[in-house]
Amino acid sequence: VAYVVYLDRQVTHQFEGRRWTLPAQVYAAPLELYAGLPLTPGELERELQRLHYQRVDRGDAPGTYRVSSERFEVMLRPARFEDETRPATRLLISVNAAGVQSLRDAAGGDVAVLRLEPLLIGSIFPIHGEDRIVVTPAEVPPLLPKALIAVEDRNFETHHGVDPLAVLRAMWVNLRAGQIEQGGSTLTQQLVRSYFLNSRQTYSRKLREAFMAMALEARFAKDDLMNAYINEIFLGQDGTRAIHGFGLASQFYFGKPLAELDTSQVALLVAVVRGPSYYDPRRHPDRARTRRDLVLKEMAEQGAISAAEASTAAQRPLGVTARPSGAYYPAYLDFVRRTLHRDYKDEDLTQAGLRIYTSLEPRAQEEAEHALEHELARLDRVHKQPHGRLEGAVVVTAPQSGDVIAIVGGRDVGYDGFDRALDAHRSLGSLVKPFIYLTALESGRYNAATVVQDVPVDVKLANGSHWRPENFTHEVSGPVPVVRALSESLNLATVGVGLDVGLAKIAATLQRFGLTQPPVQVPAMLLGAVDLAPIEAAQLFNGLANGGFRNPLRAVRAVISQDGKTVKAFPLTVTPVAAPAAVYQVDRMLVHVMDHGTGRAGRTLLPPQLVVAGKSGTSSDYRDSWFAGFSGGHLVVVWVGYDDDQPTGFTGSAGALPVWAHIMAGLGTTSWNTTMPDSLAEVQIEYPTGLRGAPGCAEDLVAVAVPAGVELPAKPGCNLQ
Amino acid sequence: MSWRITLVAVGAAFLAACASGPPVHGPPPLPSGGESPAGTARPAPSVPAQPAQPAAPPAPAYTPPPKQFHLGAPATALVQQAHAQAKSGDFGQVSATVERALRIEPDNPLLWIELGRMRLGGGDAQQADAMGRKALSLASGDGAAQASAWRLIADALQAQGRNGEAADAARHAASLAPQFSRG
Repeated sequence: VAYVVYLDRQVTHQFEGRRWTLPAQVYAAPLELYAGLPLTPGELERELQRLHYQRVDRGDAPGTYRVSSERFEVMLRPARFEDETRPATRLLISVNAAGVQSLRDAAGGDVAVLRLEPLLIGSIFPIHGEDRIVVTPAEVPPLLPKALIAVEDRNFETHHGVDPLAVLRAMWVNLRAGQIEQGGSTLTQQLVRSYFLNSRQTYSRKLREAFMAMALEARFAKDDLMNAYINEIFLGQDGTRAIHGFGLASQFYFGKPLAELDTSQVALLVAVVRGPSYYDPRRHPDRARTRRDLVLKEMAEQGAISAAEASTAAQRPLGVTARPSGAYYPAYLDFVRRTLHRDYKDEDLTQAGLRIYTSLEPRAQEEAEHALEHELARLDRVHKQPHGRLEGAVVVTAPQSGDVIAIVGGRDVGYDGFDRALDAHRSLGSLVKPFIYLTALESGRYNAATVVQDVPVDVKLANGSHWRPENFTHEVSGPVPVVRALSESLNLATVGVGLDVGLAKIAATLQRFGLTQPPVQVPAMLLGAVDLAPIEAAQLFNGLANGGFRNPLRAVRAVISQDGKTVKAFPLTVTPVAAPAAVYQVDRMLVHVMDHGTGRAGRTLLPPQLVVAGKSGTSSDYRDSWFAGFSGGHLVVVWVGYDDDQPTGFTGSAGALPVWAHIMAGLGTTSWNTTMPDSLAEVQIEYPTGLRGAPGCAEDLVAVAVPAGVELPAKPGCNLQ
Repeated sequence: MSWRITLVAVGAAFLAACASGPPVHGPPPLPSGGESPAGTARPAPSVPAQPAQPAAPPAPAYTPPPKQFHLGAPATALVQQAHAQAKSGDFGQVSATVERALRIEPDNPLLWIELGRMRLGGGDAQQADAMGRKALSLASGDGAAQASAWRLIADALQAQGRNGEAADAARHAASLAPQFSRG
């Protein structure tokens, strides 16, 4: 008796005190819709389908949309954003190939701007791996409890926790079948087992389970027990992540809220209860389908649905998504987790039901993933390398805000392991050069047209040895203007400028732009002997793309508590780190990299009118292939190389550039068109000589920005006024 | 107080925006110091007439083409929403709403000024200063926007007790757009 009292206490106490450990839910940035947004009907439909909206012909259930010629009528689901909660909303979108034309609400009124709901991209679950989305009874389709009762526990409404008749029936069925086909456990017993016990089946454990189930039944209403069951039960495994509860299972298998499931989908989830691994609808679709149809049959027999409904539902395909959703972006989630670990303990993230709003843009993320996978496979073929060894990483930001919108950590984009974007610290190579020239321009002694000497350099080092760098071509170009030295990434000219300006000043520039560790001030620093992860390279280039302002790169916008309060915001911050005019001059030169220099090969992959600025980087012996560059709205940094630091045999232009250009082209970005600061003037100079010229009297002219009032030597014979 | 100033600064933009519809999209011209996509040249908005400052502005070395930044319809709606939220005093929400607008028009100096004003109202004078400077870097050619940016910088410096620099910034503002300066 004492033991029974003890069990009763334990069960009651735990059930009442039970707070599901609620993993933090992580959301992507919502898509902002407004008239003028360059989004085609096809792209809009893709965005809706990413959120698992269903195209229908009639009806107005949330989560559906209708299309007639260029009009989309979308029944938006209720949505929670970082700053507001929105009820289900009907939205009329007029859209054509030129983009979104207008938005109207149900009453026909103009809507200036409206967001789609944010895509759930993952959750931060504890080490033991239980992930779940808790649903309230209102969010459960009424058919689900009926189906569970019909299939798992026919006497649920009347029994007291155990059902001896069900046990006998199960024994009889199993005896006849010669194998275990039915369990006699009630839903309450299953709940107890999942809550308190491990699944080892012994008679003493069975007895304890029965007592605990009866204790629960004595103290709690059937509805509470049913809701607990719906949120508790194990329904699948995704790597180390255990899928618990029907709320998450619905997202995991169908990518949409539980409330939107149809009869066949409810039946499939109920089918999976019996054996989430054996009836896994992705791995064993035939088994899952047979069991689902059996469930439908039993539902009809028990009167939960009509026979006609059951046979219609049995005609439906399984309807599970190809990949587990929320679409799984491990490298990005890795960055989110690291950001949050600065402020939060593990328990807060895995138990407190926080909602994390991030800057991830699924469209950009998918472009980046696709371009990296595709181009690395091509490089394997072209260079006759065994498939799959070459690696890469990508970071994409929105430079003005510092939002990190995409991260790819390797060519196996779904692999949650070594995240090269954050952890592969690789030699920066020539990506350092824009910062050398920026420092030179800031000194006031250089501009884009200044002629510098690309000639052999011999530096005696402190240890007595000599440093004799070379150009990649092993040739020298002699006197060249700065714009050409940077565009063609001439090592010798750059080393000359760097030594003249001073290593300390250049190191300081890099630190102003966000380098956290002071670089070792040796001459080799001028050729990029600085090891950085792609995300750190992106931090540096973000300052160039943002006109001399540094924003800490951020993935997380806000952390919201379960009850909707902002727990922590990560507001936009900017810090001026260089004169906008100096940065503008460098950026203009980086545009020439794309037209005349090492970025030229990428030009053919880009829309012809798109103005972009960029810089290639190749470390010694071709170990690292980098390309970093930006448009008006995006910064993309790409690294390609081998994990074991073996030479790849190609430069930044051959390896990383095509990946970069494919991403840039796919982003649908706008041109770099920063307004020239008032203190500068635009002049035409000859690209080979740096002499001022004009069409008709000079060759190979390029436009550069120089400080207003600077007198440049003119090409003889040019009459310039 | 800062809210009233913001409304004055951005009010002109609203007028322009209401008349102009959505921002212009499409391939912009090659960079040549020209217009920003949202910065189509417009006639100067009607501003309440104020007595001109006695001090004449110094002649600039380079005369940029006249330009008037304005906000597109979506950004205007969001800024209006932010102002409504500001009345309830939730700076987190206000800030998030203006950031939404900035994601749509990241190169619009008026939005940076708006966000800077909000930072100042929230007590972050350093960020207000930085955002003023960011706005300034985007406002080439638009005297009124530059004046608003300088005024924000001046207020931000003053809030940090850097009175000398604040006075310099205020003089910059006055010299650029006398009609926008305070009495």
